[in-house]
Amino acid sequence: MTYSPELLKGTLKTIVLKMLGDHKKMYGYEMTQKVKELTGDKIQITEGALYPTLHALEADGLVTTEVEYIGKRVRKYYSLSPAGKTASREKLKELTNFMDTMIALLDIKPKMA
Amino acid sequence: MYQLNDQQIDVILSDLLQRGIQTESLRLNLLDHICILIEENLEEDGDFYQYYITLLPQFYQQQLSELEKETQFLTTLPKRHILLSRNAFFILLSLFLIGPFTSYGVISTIDAVPFRYWDPAHKIYEAIFVFSLFPLLITLVLFFTPDRLEPLIPRRSNILIGGRPFIRVLPVRPRPSSPGIPASA
Repeated sequence: MTYSPELLKGTLKTIVLKMLGDHKKMYGYEMTQKVKELTGDKIQITEGALYPTLHALEADGLVTTEVEYIGKRVRKYYSLSPAGKTASREKLKELTNFMDTMIALLDIKPKMA
Repeated sequence: MYQLNDQQIDVILSDLLQRGIQTESLRLNLLDHICILIEENLEEDGDFYQYYITLLPQFYQQQLSELEKETQFLTTLPKRHILLSRNAFFILLSLFLIGPFTSYGVISTIDAVPFRYWDPAHKIYEAIFVFSLFPLLITLVLFFTPDRLEPLIPRRSNILIGGRPFIRVLPVRPRPSSPGIPASA
């Protein structure tokens, strides 16, 4: 089962920032594969959503970039800036709080481990 | 594993440009992504162009230029803004409004030393003038925040300065310990 885009909308920045926080630097394709791997294919970040978001994060100064030339190709690596680290923590906190709220609102019983 | 040559890379780059990807860094992002997908999935004797054409629609819903529009939209949103807590906002606004006058008062007081030249009545007038600016402060807040007149600025809300409108009261943040519904939900 994959989640609907409506559910994922609004969490993409948080996902990207968290991944960049966990890894020193990543490029776009690597991010999509990492998310697929971590979620067992349940979440698949589309390229159409990922790259505009990465550009927005870069414009906001939350990520820094460095490029690697592979022949005629250019691979752009993203990493968190100091502001991005702060934003990542804040976004994660906000999302956690939101999930707690949804659990309470929808009366969802957490599964026992 | 398929190996793309320079000519094929040029074909992809040119095609991306023709399909409306004007931003160079976005084009290079997409090029790298497409190249990886082709090289990982296409058989060595596979048809490059045929595979490329079938691969491309996974990047968009209607047409590829959607990515360009989305990128332009997200990167041109107002960037120079400050997010303040309610208290910080009032402190900033108060400092901004009465700061010059209090500074003037302090400087003129120092200037009046020795104090035999100090005129208490004059200082009272100054204080009245400074504090009479508080109604102006409230008026400014009312003027710049038409979306939140009542109550003026709710507790626990944040204030965005530099957005549209210039000063905007954001929805009230939920209490961390409370399972209540956030106002923005």
